[in-house]
Amino acid sequence: MFERGKKQPGDGDSQSTTGGADSGASSRGTPNRRSGPREAAVIGASIHIDGDVRGEEDLVIQGEVSGTVKLINNNLTVGRDGKVNADVHAQTVFVDGHVEGDLVGSERVCIRETAQVRGNITSPRVSLEDGARFKGSIEMDPAALDALLGRQKGVAKTATGPSKSGSTQSSGEQTAGKSRDLLAEAKTG
Amino acid sequence: MSQALGRQLGSDKRVDDALVNAPLFHALVERLDDDERHVILDLGPPQSGTVALFSHFRCRLDIADLAANLPAMQRASEDDSPGETFAALLPPTHQEAADVILCWDLLNYLDRPGMKALMSELVKRGKPGTLVHALVVYSARMMPVLPNRYVPVDDHNLRLVSNSKETQAAPRYSPEDLSLCMPDYSLERAMLLRNGMQEFLFRL
Repeated sequence: MFERGKKQPGDGDSQSTTGGADSGASSRGTPNRRSGPREAAVIGASIHIDGDVRGEEDLVIQGEVSGTVKLINNNLTVGRDGKVNADVHAQTVFVDGHVEGDLVGSERVCIRETAQVRGNITSPRVSLEDGARFKGSIEMDPAALDALLGRQKGVAKTATGPSKSGSTQSSGEQTAGKSRDLLAEAKTG
Repeated sequence: MSQALGRQLGSDKRVDDALVNAPLFHALVERLDDDERHVILDLGPPQSGTVALFSHFRCRLDIADLAANLPAMQRASEDDSPGETFAALLPPTHQEAADVILCWDLLNYLDRPGMKALMSELVKRGKPGTLVHALVVYSARMMPVLPNRYVPVDDHNLRLVSNSKETQAAPRYSPEDLSLCMPDYSLERAMLLRNGMQEFLFRL
């Protein structure tokens, strides 16, 4: 169970995650930079976009976007004054502002303390800082995440209904174990 | 108590008054099977400790943050059909029934009709065997005007975080009151905690 060699919530820093902490992102308004400087496009505070936003570079939203946002291989930051009324899919999603819509982060979703989010979060690593406002669901089942993120690991599984099969358990536990390792790493690092 | 936490408290040589040992919460977490998928419905606000705790299980965590909608709930409890309002405040079910419902301090801020309407609405989101963990003021005559937050520190300790210094009279619902307002639930266990709260574990 919980205490058997597992990281306890509340240990270390004040931030909790389902698998890892916000280690690489700058704290406010700039995207994650993992390997050297990485320019990000910015939707400024006075810009309103109605429609689909897609791209191959990191994006910071300080204005308002309604529709969908897809940055499959890049990072999205919703700045403190940003307002997004859209379903979002990005590699990593950092939220400081308002979001109404579902958030899919193929690597990570980070909800910071100033954020106000209403929607569902799907990501292998979710961090939610105390003080953030959130109403919705956080999917933390590795098997369901694989299915929702379109990853094929062994037997395909759906988000609904438990699975007890040995092969799928094994797949799920590998992901969960990885997440736990990342959590421990983030907490101790 | 976790060893790390025990060491921390031991080294401080003082009792952390905000830390509440919750044996029934521990029992509830112990029942969660590592290999089974679970749906946890937390009626309280989003908290890093809750996310961290349940991230160790195969689960979906639904966060309702009903405390943020308390005025609307209190107004609705005076209506003929408050259930509709309450249903709109809860997150979608995604066609999966909840296995566990966390109801920390919220019931103290609802009158009997409101509590009855909320718990009836939750019946629709549960299934036979769904467990409800609730914290209800028992011995104290006064309580803060806003619900406290209870943050899991580990699987059997909750840290009380007060949101208000102003107080109001506590309803001090008895187990009989709760049973009348929750006819679909059976009381499994109840324990009096050292902070004067009664810890309840109900089963659908």
